[in-house]
Amino acid sequence: MTPREFLGQFVLTFNDVVLYYFGTLNAFYIILFLVSLYEVVRYVRRTFFSDYEQILRSEMTWPISVIVPAHNESRTIVETIRSLLSINYGQFEVIVVNDGSADDTLQKVVKTFELKLTDRIYRRTLPTGDVRGIYASLEIRNLLVVDKVRGGKADALNTGINVSRYPLYCSVDADSIIEDNALLRVVKPFMEHPDEMVAAGGIVRIANGCKVRDGRVVEIGLPRRMLPIYQVVEYLRAFLSGRIGWSSLRSLLIISGAFGLYRKSEVIAVGGYDRWSQTEDLELVLKLHESLRRQKRRYRIVFVPDPVCWTEVPSKFRVLARQRNRWHRGLVQSLWRHRRMMFNPRYGVIGWVAMPYFVLFELFGPFVEILGYVTVLLAWILGLLNLDFFLLFLIFSIFFGIFLSISAVLLEEISFRRYPGWQHLAMLVLAGVFENFGFRQLLSLFKVKAFWDYLWRRKTWGRMEREGFRQAPPPAARPSSAAPVTSAPR
Amino acid sequence: MGGMMYSERELLIIVIIGTIALLSTITLLIVLNKAWREAREAIARRRRRILEPDVFRYVGAADTRTIREFLALPMSNGDSRLVEGILLDMAALVKGESRDRITAACEAVGLVARTIEGLKSRRWWKRAESAEKLGVMRSQQAVEPLVQVMNDPMGEVRIRAARALGLIRGSTSIRPLVLALADPSRWSAIRVAEILIGVGEDAVQELLQGYDSLPQHARVSVLDVLGRIRTPRAASLLRKALKDPNDDARARAAHAMGLIADPLFTDDLIGALKDGHWAVRAQAAKALGRMDARKAIPPIAALLGDREWWARSNAGDALRVLGPPGREALVKSLDAADIYARHQAVSQLQEGGIIDEYVSDLGSPETARREAAVQFIRKVIALQRIDHLSQQAVEHTQASVRKALLGILKRVPEGAS
Repeated sequence: MTPREFLGQFVLTFNDVVLYYFGTLNAFYIILFLVSLYEVVRYVRRTFFSDYEQILRSEMTWPISVIVPAHNESRTIVETIRSLLSINYGQFEVIVVNDGSADDTLQKVVKTFELKLTDRIYRRTLPTGDVRGIYASLEIRNLLVVDKVRGGKADALNTGINVSRYPLYCSVDADSIIEDNALLRVVKPFMEHPDEMVAAGGIVRIANGCKVRDGRVVEIGLPRRMLPIYQVVEYLRAFLSGRIGWSSLRSLLIISGAFGLYRKSEVIAVGGYDRWSQTEDLELVLKLHESLRRQKRRYRIVFVPDPVCWTEVPSKFRVLARQRNRWHRGLVQSLWRHRRMMFNPRYGVIGWVAMPYFVLFELFGPFVEILGYVTVLLAWILGLLNLDFFLLFLIFSIFFGIFLSISAVLLEEISFRRYPGWQHLAMLVLAGVFENFGFRQLLSLFKVKAFWDYLWRRKTWGRMEREGFRQAPPPAARPSSAAPVTSAPR
Repeated sequence: MGGMMYSERELLIIVIIGTIALLSTITLLIVLNKAWREAREAIARRRRRILEPDVFRYVGAADTRTIREFLALPMSNGDSRLVEGILLDMAALVKGESRDRITAACEAVGLVARTIEGLKSRRWWKRAESAEKLGVMRSQQAVEPLVQVMNDPMGEVRIRAARALGLIRGSTSIRPLVLALADPSRWSAIRVAEILIGVGEDAVQELLQGYDSLPQHARVSVLDVLGRIRTPRAASLLRKALKDPNDDARARAAHAMGLIADPLFTDDLIGALKDGHWAVRAQAAKALGRMDARKAIPPIAALLGDREWWARSNAGDALRVLGPPGREALVKSLDAADIYARHQAVSQLQEGGIIDEYVSDLGSPETARREAAVQFIRKVIALQRIDHLSQQAVEHTQASVRKALLGILKRVPEGAS
């Protein structure tokens, strides 16, 4: 066999593999979408009367420690703390962990909230970096600021867990905004299944384009630039079509680090967050699954689609590339570390479905896609390309991609309807179409690069450059229709 | 095999056409759903503006005319639903006679009867919605059907029925509520408990009578409810529960005693400070603090050295709120043999602002006060809890205090943090 023949054979075989791969992947997507559709409708029906007022008033509602790791968050930290202190919840404490910020994050917080250094005693249940001081206020009794040496986000979260007092804790990113009722909504599964609940995650929505006042999103809008709009659709797809589906299959592997509620004792039992991990949130959930399944415990790790956390996403390709690079490296790390769960009957659906899905489609999917483009080129050079079939396949894959995006918009439209205007709907549909021409391919490239970086042990956090939220004008200058998010039409 | 065989190309074209058709359908569905919803909402808003004044006139009227005499009849189904909606919205806002008129209107237009029928729906969410609405209507006609729904297989329906019964009140509705505390869902039990707390003293007799027949987790809820109703009638039950073999029951009984705050509970709670389970000790300490039981200060101070953090923390909290004698006990605890007790004392003295008072005394013109402050601060420093003092040494408003404090801190032993 000549090298040319060998290459030709390889290209043809690969093309066959890609066809089967593509078919299986899309079958997965359709199943996930259908399961999500069923779950969303069910969820909306279940919540036609809200019980949040009762959860809020009840003395029996579990208190929550909100832990906010902060590193160089001087621009937004004060607004974030104010917003957290004013959320609707009975008993809660806010613990800000200043993780060795090089800017004036700590000074700003201490000055604004008139904090004093205290000698608070706490149990050092999880090993962490040195704590330099704990600040508290006599005025705001539920605010605590821990100043520690730089140790990374995982270390900061572990420190927060050590200092926290309550049985549940909620991790919140310092640059995110959680809605007033988000804690009430996310705690509900814990109230309904107190013996089984271990963790619950909420939906993360994109704040670019929204107007923010006093740490609250007061007007929902879409970003002006296309890159963040594509991410709006991507997030809708990931949360409404993906996580709802995985959650109902009891195989949710990711709870976003921006907003998640955990039972503290379970997290401590698995050793807390791992400092070495690039994506400590994914790693923690995988550890919990592995440990609980090994113990043959009945447990729940769920996704609640209603509690909303607003966060800013990259609006520059460079920043997006760094962010996705870190996420994908974290995925590789964690899947490799928990590889023993794959096809292991002890881990049930997670071992047989979720882990193989993540390895096959999330981890290697980008390689298959990029290699697919290369082999098409090779096939064309070698004169093996069936142009007619190729074009038809391309058309099909593009339309199917659009179908998946538009399906996510449909889920949003029949359930939560956070984007109220016709112009929002039109933009989302258009973005669902256009993201298939470049954006998704670019994400695949970023992921391939991340895998390469992982193999060469390149580690960077992928610092997010933020533009800050769009500030809404003061109330007097605003029309009276400017309602807070919580009263937005549902 | 007479079926048609398709080539790969043809198959792909069919799949593409199918995908495009599906995509178009979904897009159309999104648009139509939004348009339909917005149109309906707009029409309902317009009709509601027309119907509302008539309903308002009926509710505010002082005569015996029924609601039918205020409305332009016959009404379309859509208008009937709107009138029902207006009545239910108003029911949540008004009280007294107006409230009764709304109940009468709901009965007169057949809304109560229709909603009771809804309790038999095959769809659980319809049953839940009906139960919720009947609670808002508060018609006595609904009590019996709601009691029956308390056995519904869906928890969400049972809880709505329980809430409705709680709103309607009346002795017939209390017993099923007490039994509903046994619901396996903690959330359901919490909601039922909240309803019973809202009922108040009227629910106490049923709670006391039902206690022994309930499962353990429901008994715990009963103890909570009795505590939050703050009824002295529960005294003997709480004393019995404080000796229950179940740890949770004892802890809740201690908590409930603290809420009721009857001084007669003091000795029982002092005894509970020596309970074998930390939660009971912690709750007993908290309860004694809440009751302002000065007699309990020595045993609470002893609890500062407890092996469990929560028991120490609650003991410290209790001493802090027990006024000057409690503070004094905390200051004395700085000399305790147990390191945990000493650290807890510092923490509480700091949180209560007592350390700051001593620091300010460093600038006092009275020598005795200054010396007492120096002695006190040295004890705190000896415990290596100097973060707060160090900050005061820099930030205190009085220069003389800063200087004195710095002087004491300079003699800090190695290793203090």
